[in-house]
Amino acid sequence: MSERRVAITGLGAVAPNARSVDELFAQLVGGRSAIRRLEAPMFASLRSPIGAAVDFDGSAHFAAARLRMLDRVSQLALVAAAQAIADAHLDFATENRERCGVSLGTGMGGAESTDEGYHIIYAERSDRVKPYTVLNSMTNAAASWIGIDHALSGPNLTYSTACSSSAVALGEAARRIRSGDVDVMVAGGAEAPLTFGVLRAWEAMRTIATQDPTDPSASCRPFSRNRTGLVLGEGAAFVALEEWQHASARGARIHAELTGYGLATDVVHITRPTVAGQAAAMRLALNSAGLDPDAVDYINAHGTATLQNDSIETAAIKEVFGSRAYSLPVSSTKSMHGHLLGAAGALEFVIAVLSLVRGVVPPTMHLDAPDPACDLDYVSGCARSGVTLRAVMSNSFAFGGTNAVLIAETPHDHRRRPSTGLR
Amino acid sequence: MTTLETLQNILIDEFEVTREQLVPEAELAALGVDSLDLLELMFKIEDRYKLSIRDDVPTDLSTIADVVVYIDELLARQAKARGVDPPDLHAAT
Repeated sequence: MSERRVAITGLGAVAPNARSVDELFAQLVGGRSAIRRLEAPMFASLRSPIGAAVDFDGSAHFAAARLRMLDRVSQLALVAAAQAIADAHLDFATENRERCGVSLGTGMGGAESTDEGYHIIYAERSDRVKPYTVLNSMTNAAASWIGIDHALSGPNLTYSTACSSSAVALGEAARRIRSGDVDVMVAGGAEAPLTFGVLRAWEAMRTIATQDPTDPSASCRPFSRNRTGLVLGEGAAFVALEEWQHASARGARIHAELTGYGLATDVVHITRPTVAGQAAAMRLALNSAGLDPDAVDYINAHGTATLQNDSIETAAIKEVFGSRAYSLPVSSTKSMHGHLLGAAGALEFVIAVLSLVRGVVPPTMHLDAPDPACDLDYVSGCARSGVTLRAVMSNSFAFGGTNAVLIAETPHDHRRRPSTGLR
Repeated sequence: MTTLETLQNILIDEFEVTREQLVPEAELAALGVDSLDLLELMFKIEDRYKLSIRDDVPTDLSTIADVVVYIDELLARQAKARGVDPPDLHAAT
């Protein structure tokens, strides 16, 4: 039996500043940050009331009765997943639905519903918690709704590994296709963390960037000497993953092939990243793709703009790529869309695939003064177009230590050595 | 406003239903109102009538008429407990 390969046939995103993948990529290539001061009165008491919100009104997509049953995270997920399915021109009515599934990553699930429920209980001291609170806030709700909406009766899985959740969701979905369990997986991530309670909790960790006094949109500065932390963002991004022959047989357009997935875990401290753990995840991803480090043409970095991450990630890239690291474009698009937590991995993988397809590397913005410990080619300030990319890597690291790395390649075979497969 | 009219108004606001659909014999399930929706509906009924629904909402309310009867009985019971006449449901509000 020939090896089963994983085709990426659909892309979808509802992200800060973007209601589609086209808008998303245009914003990033244009270097436009979606990070803003959050103007709602309840955010006024935050030390740094900034975030990257999606211009998204659920009532434009869902009837009122439906909306009551959907946390914002599920609304965003449903819309982005539907985009990916439409982009792939998948018609599930003609599919064996038991061989089609959903794989979703989210860090916090229905955070708004949780926040609202606790507000009713503790602030209003009322016992009138909404009857849908459990169903709206449960972490797997978004994946379940996608499965219900599209009647996908194969595996319906939710992964929660903090900021690598949706990279894991994509990697695990690809493995299921590769293993022969399923033919199609709608895989992605969603997060809606811009509630007062969540923002306050992140602020308490001292990881949120200080608002830039003159330009709030420039508050997130990955790899900068004067970086002050991350900025939370919301949104959802999805891919339609499909077994190669299955996609070819129906004449689907194949954007790219998901060839590499590496997982390795930092076991030092719940927040502390390690060079060893990140490097191991990148190496495992390369091995699973059967690629030498030299074959990678772009890395979409985890690049959170926290003090710890950026220098460690830079060191890990150097360890894996050696001298190649210095000529390899590495950018952090979080400088523009913020940190989507559980949705970050999927969003950034979608961005990496768009880079591959369109031959354009999006920039790292607000990097005027690089940290001396961060000395790679971060594509600072300006997108790089007209480049030929054959293989792109997307890094996702996390509190809790689950490092996940994905690789996509242009849809043709240029393997240099035997692949270990998506183990 | 009668209990029926009040219930109709709440349902029209919250569900994609028309007044014509909301006849007393209409089945809640057919209107897209499930058991959890009904619980949430009761919060609005509490507000509207200054009622306190602390009892478990019965699970056998299947039509609009069932809900109307339930509310009216509750109103009468709570008014009696307070030693006053039941509120005039036809009073303009």
